Amino acid sequence: MKPKIAFFDFASCEGCQLQIANLEDTIIDVADVVEVVEFREIMTEQAQQYDIAFIEGSITRPIDEKRLKAIRKKSKILIALGTCAHLGGVQRLSNQWSAKENIKEVYPCAKTKDISKNEFFENPKHKAVDEVVKVDYVIPGCPIDRTEFVNVLVALVHGKNPPIPDYPVCVECKKKENVCLFTIGKFCMGPIARAGCGAICPSHGNECEACRGYISHPHERAQLDVLKEYGLTTKEIMNRKTMFTYRYVETEKEESK
Amino acid sequence: MKVISKQDFDALLKDLIQDNSIDVHGVKAKGDKFVFGELESSKELRLDYDTTILPPKKYFMPQYDTLLNCSLSTPFEIKEEKSQKPLVIIGVHPYDLVAIKQMDVYYCSDDISKSYLDRRKNTIIIGSDVLSIHEKAFFGSMKTGQVENGFDLFLTDLGDKVVIEIGSKKGEELLSKAAMVREASEVEKQKVHALRMAAQGKAKRGMKIEPNQWYSLLDQNYNSGVWKSQSDKCLSCGTCTLVCPTCFCYDVIDEIDLKGNSKRVRTWDGCLLRQFTEVAGGEIFREDIKDRYRHRFFRKGKYMPDRLGFTACVGCGRCSSQCIPDIADPVKVMNLVFDNSDTFVQDENKQAKSISLDSIEINEEDAVSLHHPFPATITKVEKLTEREKLFEIELDSGEKLGHDPGQFVEVSIMGVGEAPISISSPPKRKRFDLVIRKVGEVTNKIHEMKKGDKIGIRGPFGNGFDVEQFKGRDLLFIAAGLGLPPLRSLIAHVLDEDNRKDFGKVTIICGCREPCEVLFDNEIKDWQKIPNVEVLRTVDRCPDGECWGGDIGLITKLIPKANFNQKNTYCMIVGPPVVYPFCIQILLDLGVPENRIIVSLERRMKCGVGKCGHCQINNLYVCKDGPVFNYHDIKDLPEAFE
Repeated sequence: MKPKIAFFDFASCEGCQLQIANLEDTIIDVADVVEVVEFREIMTEQAQQYDIAFIEGSITRPIDEKRLKAIRKKSKILIALGTCAHLGGVQRLSNQWSAKENIKEVYPCAKTKDISKNEFFENPKHKAVDEVVKVDYVIPGCPIDRTEFVNVLVALVHGKNPPIPDYPVCVECKKKENVCLFTIGKFCMGPIARAGCGAICPSHGNECEACRGYISHPHERAQLDVLKEYGLTTKEIMNRKTMFTYRYVETEKEESK
Repeated sequence: MKVISKQDFDALLKDLIQDNSIDVHGVKAKGDKFVFGELESSKELRLDYDTTILPPKKYFMPQYDTLLNCSLSTPFEIKEEKSQKPLVIIGVHPYDLVAIKQMDVYYCSDDISKSYLDRRKNTIIIGSDVLSIHEKAFFGSMKTGQVENGFDLFLTDLGDKVVIEIGSKKGEELLSKAAMVREASEVEKQKVHALRMAAQGKAKRGMKIEPNQWYSLLDQNYNSGVWKSQSDKCLSCGTCTLVCPTCFCYDVIDEIDLKGNSKRVRTWDGCLLRQFTEVAGGEIFREDIKDRYRHRFFRKGKYMPDRLGFTACVGCGRCSSQCIPDIADPVKVMNLVFDNSDTFVQDENKQAKSISLDSIEINEEDAVSLHHPFPATITKVEKLTEREKLFEIELDSGEKLGHDPGQFVEVSIMGVGEAPISISSPPKRKRFDLVIRKVGEVTNKIHEMKKGDKIGIRGPFGNGFDVEQFKGRDLLFIAAGLGLPPLRSLIAHVLDEDNRKDFGKVTIICGCREPCEVLFDNEIKDWQKIPNVEVLRTVDRCPDGECWGGDIGLITKLIPKANFNQKNTYCMIVGPPVVYPFCIQILLDLGVPENRIIVSLERRMKCGVGKCGHCQINNLYVCKDGPVFNYHDIKDLPEAFE
């Protein structure tokens, strides 16, 4: 029997699921190895049990936590799909401010009575999926890499661990023989960011912002020294550290308490 | 030396590029840097380049190199990649030619890689003099700015004309296609000579030691503070090894596609990366960045000279220019070590054996596909504990494996990967036993297999126990946990009735954590019954409800209780890394001489043939020099018993 897979979205742009919906050339082969039983972007059917559930998006409101926990109960394997699910996404930056401040910023014209005590506007903090339920595997990236998604799926179907690298982007970048961005006056998180994307941003001259998170043992202090030495201000370094990886900053604060 | 006009050279190049039967690659611009790549027009070739981002090693061991292909439905119909069109590479600098010669020695000594040799023979290398010197290059200091051979043709671009040296028949044939070739005049020869001398003189960068002094300097400075102070800035990104023309380490990974086809791919790896030494159980043998950082320099300056006879640095300056925190530069680092070493003395006995890279003899008939597994059938499966099963294997060729006790095989499952497993049966039998703990992807898969299923086998590999040396001696075996299966190959051999008379008293000390983890219980009881055999057994602890008749406590406690003659006994220890220092110390304290202690070590043996670099302990490869070592030979290796 083919494994039943399902996709669910939480606070996100749905771009990761779109990557999958756009798997044009391989979608038929994917359907050969798995059965998609729930995927709001492309179908209306729903199911009761999932062999593999893919979760996109950060977890924001109490109603989302409840929904996620219900999905976890019905899933054998649960996978965080993309940066929002993995780390909390760009929106996690809003955790720097209180829920009240955020609502005022986003809905400046809203009347307090309309949104207070409304469960859709309850927004205490953005969380990654593994801060709410057990996550078996992560497919990182903003957005995810289509080929990597297929590789993970195939690995799971064959009883293997998903092939997510734990070495830095520099490795893939060097193998591609790219001109190192540091040598042309740009800055890059590649030395500590997790590879698997094929160094797609540096390959096109764009600085890596570690959307796939850091490798498991990053030499972060050395990276910060390098950014400083190459001329970034503390504020600019902070921007780079927080774009996709504010979760680590929060953890650091938590640990230093 | 020949000379042709620039115009004729361009015409020759154009003809080559238009010839569809060959691929023509050369140096071209990428941004304001340079790379080796396919030439689409003769104008693209940039002989005035300083250095390329990656060295030409990528042509002989590509970044992603498919070694084996098969469909998972027929895993033993393995197809190997077909050889490509002949390749011409234009513009290889002398230091890179030296690096390719080093690579030849690396891949074509001992176990000769067929895929490497095929690629090498399929390539015409056209060298070129260094016309612009990269600010970080120090080939002058490494004496690699000039070569006598290692090329098919060698170019010196003199502006309106090109001086060409012929290095081989292939090169001569290629040049014969050019319109007007004449002999070089004395003046032209002198011009070329002067140009080379100038380049060599310029590319020195103040390196304070000679290439053959690296060995002594490193030998005396393993514990230099430089390693820590520099590696504090190291990002551990792997760049220095990836861009290096003399770093050849690789990883092998299995991929499966949606249609159920599998590929075994070789890809560049580097000793600076954290997972480089990780074994299936999760242990990492060079966890500290300092140790990885130091290993890179030691491999270049000490271990490669020990092994193959050359200092594995050619002074190209790629690591120096591409390391972001600027700590990879050999000039800077070796000078720093030198400056911090008050007592440095050049020891004439300790330097790179100077082997001639010019006269490498390659026995082409010995070249094999190093990673090609052979089909074998599981003839018996026996569950030993919750985690371990015994698999009896027979090669489908019908031949005996032909192993020595203590050797190992690589067990292969296409689509999943390979795992090094010790052979746990004596050499006598036609079939062989593997005791496999469920600990990683490959071993998980094998645990699902039944009698009659097929696996791939490569091997036997490594250096086993020297049985001849043990004859006439008493033997003490110390087997901790999963150390018993490899020792069983020797114990069963020694206790075999045909061989028993060759050996004296046999003492066997077995220990594991709990009674439920005991391996070969019945067999151990049988050994006990054999005359002149003493068996002592222990478990670390015995939980309530389990039954245990032997000692309780650490295995080290049992050693003094064993009744053996310290002066006439060879002592073998096999177990997890933690047991070695303690057991060895106890034996030494009891008066056992160092050279009578034999150990078998585990590291990440990935290729089994001393090429991939993962299992290295200082200068030794566990897969070739081990896994069985005499303690006396490795006691001074800091990485052996960390």
